[in-house]
Amino acid sequence: MPNVWTIFRREFAAYFNSPIAYIFIIVFLVLNCGLFMTPFFLQGTADMRGFFNNLPLFLIFFIPAVTMRLWADDKKIGTFELLMTLPMRSSEVMLGKYLAAMAFYIISLLGTLTIPIMINLLGNPDNGAIFGGYLGAILLGALYMSVGIFTSGLLRDQISAFILGMLACFALFLLGIPAVAATIDGWFDGLGAFLQNYLGLMGHYESLQRGVLDLGDLAYFLSLTVVFLALNTLWLEGRKY
Amino acid sequence: MIEVRDVTKRFGTTVALDSISFRLNEGEVLGFLGPNGAGKSTAMKIITTFLAPDSGSVKVAEIDVLEQPLAVRGKIGYMPENVPLYLEMSVQEYLTFVGRARGLAGARLDERLAWCVEACGLRTEYKKAIQELSKGYRQRTGLAQALIHDPDILILDEPTSGLDPLQIMEIRDLIKSLAGHKTIIFSTHILQEVSPVTDRVVVINEGQIIADGEIRDLARRAMGSNRLYASLRHDSAEVETALRELKETSEVIRLSGGDASRARFEIRGDFGHDLGQAVFNLARERNWELLELHESSFSLEETFIALTHQSQPGRKEVA
Repeated sequence: MPNVWTIFRREFAAYFNSPIAYIFIIVFLVLNCGLFMTPFFLQGTADMRGFFNNLPLFLIFFIPAVTMRLWADDKKIGTFELLMTLPMRSSEVMLGKYLAAMAFYIISLLGTLTIPIMINLLGNPDNGAIFGGYLGAILLGALYMSVGIFTSGLLRDQISAFILGMLACFALFLLGIPAVAATIDGWFDGLGAFLQNYLGLMGHYESLQRGVLDLGDLAYFLSLTVVFLALNTLWLEGRKY
Repeated sequence: MIEVRDVTKRFGTTVALDSISFRLNEGEVLGFLGPNGAGKSTAMKIITTFLAPDSGSVKVAEIDVLEQPLAVRGKIGYMPENVPLYLEMSVQEYLTFVGRARGLAGARLDERLAWCVEACGLRTEYKKAIQELSKGYRQRTGLAQALIHDPDILILDEPTSGLDPLQIMEIRDLIKSLAGHKTIIFSTHILQEVSPVTDRVVVINEGQIIADGEIRDLARRAMGSNRLYASLRHDSAEVETALRELKETSEVIRLSGGDASRARFEIRGDFGHDLGQAVFNLARERNWELLELHESSFSLEETFIALTHQSQPGRKEVA
């Protein structure tokens, strides 16, 4: 664990050592809050559904941009060889990097807490649903993040890592859309529904957003996240051969 | 301390290392020589556990690199060819990070930081961002990184590449000052760099070890003969004939320059004979005036070229 902390500290500082972190956070907040606030006064309802509805699509762009540098950059500048010859497991290095990216994302997310505060002042929202929504946002981010760090590991170039990560996240997003599932079912009966249940994220995300804490949904996000992190570690070990 | 046995490594269809073996005792310094792409870096990456061998075994301090890679890494300080630096960090931040990652903390970390900064001459640059540093200082930071945990073993891949002659000398002196306390392998394709630092070299070419031993012995083995330069004041043709008749000489070459009564010769003879004594005796017997007589050891370049010619050609070069 001290090893994870050492890596975490460096990676986290690396975000804030460059202007990128601040630009990211500003863009994240302006886009998210802006998109939410535009129809807010027209609708006149005190909830955050609009905000959370935007997230799965929005994070497809945001998260791979955060994760793209995690391995690709190290490989490009040569520090990958340093990290992989430190007396610590690849999984520890990976976890330090992953948690740093997660911390960065959660800080960005904290910036949006102005919205629930405002809504609570203006009306009587269902705070359970808002809490569920934020939990969903964190779990969704965690999943995208694990996909992003995995694709960053596959490539040496940040831009390629970004695009590949975006595509992979988008695939998870699409599989969960009923229309897409129905189309796939049309080709292979049952396959679409199966993929929608086990890989598609929209169903699981939406039930969290309603404030329903279902063990199955938690298990979906956590297990898929762990799968991608494990794949990442496996790939790191595989470089040797 | 380091034992490499029958290590083979392929990348796709190219053979980077073809069953190489060598060993290094505690406190020894080994110059790892070879042209670019000979397999030096690959061998170092295997010793430092960055890569795994396809076959064969590597033991560092009696520990197998495949069985306990983390234990091996703890004992090694490694400076890869492409110096791994986080450019946005300051030298201090960077060395502190590597120190922590290598398990140092508190007073011990401070002590090691102070030592590395002093030994690598980084004091004036300590607080600067690495991206502001010159190539020489970046190289020193890379070396400081490898030394931070006071490792028993140092693996330095082309530590002087891209430096100017003065910087090369500084790095060389630093390596020399560490010799004796630490077991060191350093690679280079620049031959003059080896002899000031160590006598022991392993020459690798096209993935195979073509020589292992002391530079002097290698010269003997590679060239197969001793070499002497002599010039005598006498009729050149007569001198040449007399020299050829000596049983110690195997080859006499008349060099250009000089004139009919004063010629210069390159004389070769088998090791084991005292070539110089023989020529001197000849001059004394015949009362010829001996103007020059000196034994010339073969340069590293000549040895190296001879060695690489001896190794079988016809195999692909590998990065």
